[in-house]
Amino acid sequence: MQPTGRPPVVDVALQGRGIAVADQMDRAKVLQRLRLGDAAYRHLTRAAAITVLVILGGIIISLVWGSLPALRAFGISFLYEEAWNPVTEKFGAIAPIYGTIVTSVIAMLIAVPVGLFIAVFLTELCPMWLRRPVGIAIELLAGIPSIIYGIWGLFVFAPFLQQHVQPFIISLFGEIPVLSNLFAGPPYGIGILTAGLILAIMVLPFVTSISRDVFEAVPPVLKEAAYGLGCTTWEVCRYVVLPYARVGVIGGVMLGLGRALGETMAVTFVIGNAHRISGSLLAPGTTISATIANEFTEAVGDLYTSALIALGLILFVITFIVLAAARLMLMRLNARVGG
Amino acid sequence: MAATFQSSLYASRRRRNRISMGLAFAATAFGLSWLVLILAVLLWEGFSGLSLSVFTEMTPPPGSAGGLLNPIAGSLIMTTIAVLIGTPLGILAGTYMAEYGRYDRLTTVVRFINDILLSAPSIVVGLFVYEVMVAQMGHFSGWAGAVSLAVIVVPVVVRTTEDMLILVPDTLREAAASIGLPRSLMITKVAYRAARAGMVTGVLLAIARISGETAPLLFTALNNQFWSLNLNAPVASLPVVIFQFALSPYHDWQKLAWTGALIITLAVLALSIIARTLAAQRKTS
Amino acid sequence: MSVAAITVPAVSHAPSSAEDLSEKISIRDLNFFYGDNRALKDINVPLYQGKVTAFIGPSGCGKSTLLRILNRMYDLYPNQRATGHVRIDNDDILSPSQDLNLLRAKVGMVFQKPTPFPMTIFENIAFGIRLYERLAKSELEDRVRHALERAALWEEVKNKLNANGLSLSGGQQQRLCIARTVAVRPEVILFDEPCSALDPISTAKIEELIDELKDDYTIAIVTHNMQQAARVSDFTAFMYLGELVEFGETTQIFTNPNDRRTQDYITGRFG
Repeated sequence: MQPTGRPPVVDVALQGRGIAVADQMDRAKVLQRLRLGDAAYRHLTRAAAITVLVILGGIIISLVWGSLPALRAFGISFLYEEAWNPVTEKFGAIAPIYGTIVTSVIAMLIAVPVGLFIAVFLTELCPMWLRRPVGIAIELLAGIPSIIYGIWGLFVFAPFLQQHVQPFIISLFGEIPVLSNLFAGPPYGIGILTAGLILAIMVLPFVTSISRDVFEAVPPVLKEAAYGLGCTTWEVCRYVVLPYARVGVIGGVMLGLGRALGETMAVTFVIGNAHRISGSLLAPGTTISATIANEFTEAVGDLYTSALIALGLILFVITFIVLAAARLMLMRLNARVGG
Repeated sequence: MAATFQSSLYASRRRRNRISMGLAFAATAFGLSWLVLILAVLLWEGFSGLSLSVFTEMTPPPGSAGGLLNPIAGSLIMTTIAVLIGTPLGILAGTYMAEYGRYDRLTTVVRFINDILLSAPSIVVGLFVYEVMVAQMGHFSGWAGAVSLAVIVVPVVVRTTEDMLILVPDTLREAAASIGLPRSLMITKVAYRAARAGMVTGVLLAIARISGETAPLLFTALNNQFWSLNLNAPVASLPVVIFQFALSPYHDWQKLAWTGALIITLAVLALSIIARTLAAQRKTS
Repeated sequence: MSVAAITVPAVSHAPSSAEDLSEKISIRDLNFFYGDNRALKDINVPLYQGKVTAFIGPSGCGKSTLLRILNRMYDLYPNQRATGHVRIDNDDILSPSQDLNLLRAKVGMVFQKPTPFPMTIFENIAFGIRLYERLAKSELEDRVRHALERAALWEEVKNKLNANGLSLSGGQQQRLCIARTVAVRPEVILFDEPCSALDPISTAKIEELIDELKDDYTIAIVTHNMQQAARVSDFTAFMYLGELVEFGETTQIFTNPNDRRTQDYITGRFG
């Protein structure tokens, strides 16, 4: 804005009172300076936003770069070979991949129904004054660092399972054809099942809070319409609330799955770190993150290190796909609610 | 009653409702009881080892008494640096997304990627920083550890900053613009102030998150059983020491591990409570 | 005191003789509280079988609150309670031993905002029927068709019964909700401002529907549209600030009200 010839009335009035006023030229100069700073700030923030993309790019590039020796050496067979031998330098990823997937599946099989039922409790049954405390308590489970779950699992949960629960399970399924192999002893306490159970407890708060939020967003009129027909609370939840909230719930479940797949410390303590696939869920195994956590600092030789980084790449690809799908679903939900 | 009903159908509906509501109640009790169990054991095992020496003495070799001074110091230092690096970066990025580029394509992509990074496995972050810093520098270091924690801080701060700035009403922005305030000043002097409590909450949540992170430190900062303030070398941290001590066969070490776990958990819970109280205050004001 | 702005069609509102009237719902000394706040004060009003009773009054007067007591919808929310007696066929529905699901099977409700369930058109109707009866597939289809015909929607949806309920227009969705309510075979139907979210043509269709339905049901309708009340109802209750100010035959209320406040409201002095 160019200064005009005549000063504004206010300036004249102020000057008449003896109050110093910067004349219009000074003001223009100040604004000019501020404009430069303004442009600089804009570029700065834009650069910061791009940095987020750079971080992701960096992760992908560094993982691919680091895995190249292993991938070149083993090719696609890396994905299905079971042998993991640092001495002969033969590495195959199938045991960690299997462990990662199976423990996560066990975790989701438990956490999803339990989480949904807790969300039903919090939205329909819980008395008002209890809702916030219980909600907060469940969220505290999410805040407990995973290493705490790890040592608790190792010193408390696993021995408990070993002494009281696993012998019972082994004898329960002893005679039944398929299940007796799935739950075959000996009762180590640690193992794939134990890791899956601990993951279930860790994933539970994620599924619960997201489900609770979507349940609460269901318009009350819709629920009243169902109650108005004489539906019981369960029928309202099952036939009206859940279908309405379906997309959000699936998004939350996938978010929980993403967390379960990548979880390291809790699993490392209780999985037993055995590089093999057993038929029994009670046997020790390993996951991708547990393998990396246990072996990386001891890894000698470029091929060994590269194999571990290749495992990291596989994990990243799997979690990226799951998390991207979850975000897409939640984006669709927001679009629907907004529009 | 004109509405006919088969009483057996009604009875089975009522039964199904009772069972389902019972299951909902049981599920909640189930979930809560794990929280109670874990916290109770943590308090029991960790508390008995808690004493002043934990905070004043170094990590001991197996068989002797000692404390957790160097891991606590190491964690505090690396956490502080991580926050100092990650917070400005996160705030600036979030500012772009909320203020300058709210509806443009870059923001949509960044938001999507940021949300994925938010939940990405932290061990992968450790591998990334290993490749980029440790392998290049030739040795483990506290700086690498701090950087890997910073990489975890950034997405959290980006998300909360963007969310909080979007909540600032446009009327406030228009009022600032109407007195000729340039954009950058409007953001730093008006919008940040309005969103301050929310942004602080975000930083507190980020700190709570990285306080317990072990995996990224395992091969960046490694570990150090002696007192060291040299960030160019391996640095002890509380989570890694807990990892090492808990998996060892020595009883003293295991006890220290529990105590360390208690310290971390109390710190995380305290931060979460403060963050929550701040958020609640913001809602009432 | 004539009210020139409102024309009252003479045909459907011929004054009833006392023998025609049977009191389906009897409300006596009803008080309702939101927490400590008394929202309804000593309400006494009859609802007659086979007739439409309209509740009118300025916003906040308590008419929706009153309607929602009749199917104990307020029970879903804490801190809301009712005292007094509401008898449907001699059962006091306010008593704690009243089975709420059965009550709601008997007393249906159509809401202000059309709320089809997230299901197909067919399922929206079948869902309610299946709650109470085990029917063979062909019987179920007949019942669904019958309900849609009674709601004057059959012709428009008969070829797309598997479409999602939300794909219909606003007026059609509301008729779907009416069909859903009718399918459950209630004895009483409550309409809570059923047309306020709809366009004039849909509104007219629904008013016709109410006129056809009233022979088989007891109908109560809450509306802020006085002309609608005059067109559609046999009896009208005027409420103000939680009290029942006046109750009588619609023709009388709109042409010759007894209470000053009723007259002021009807002539548009307030509300």
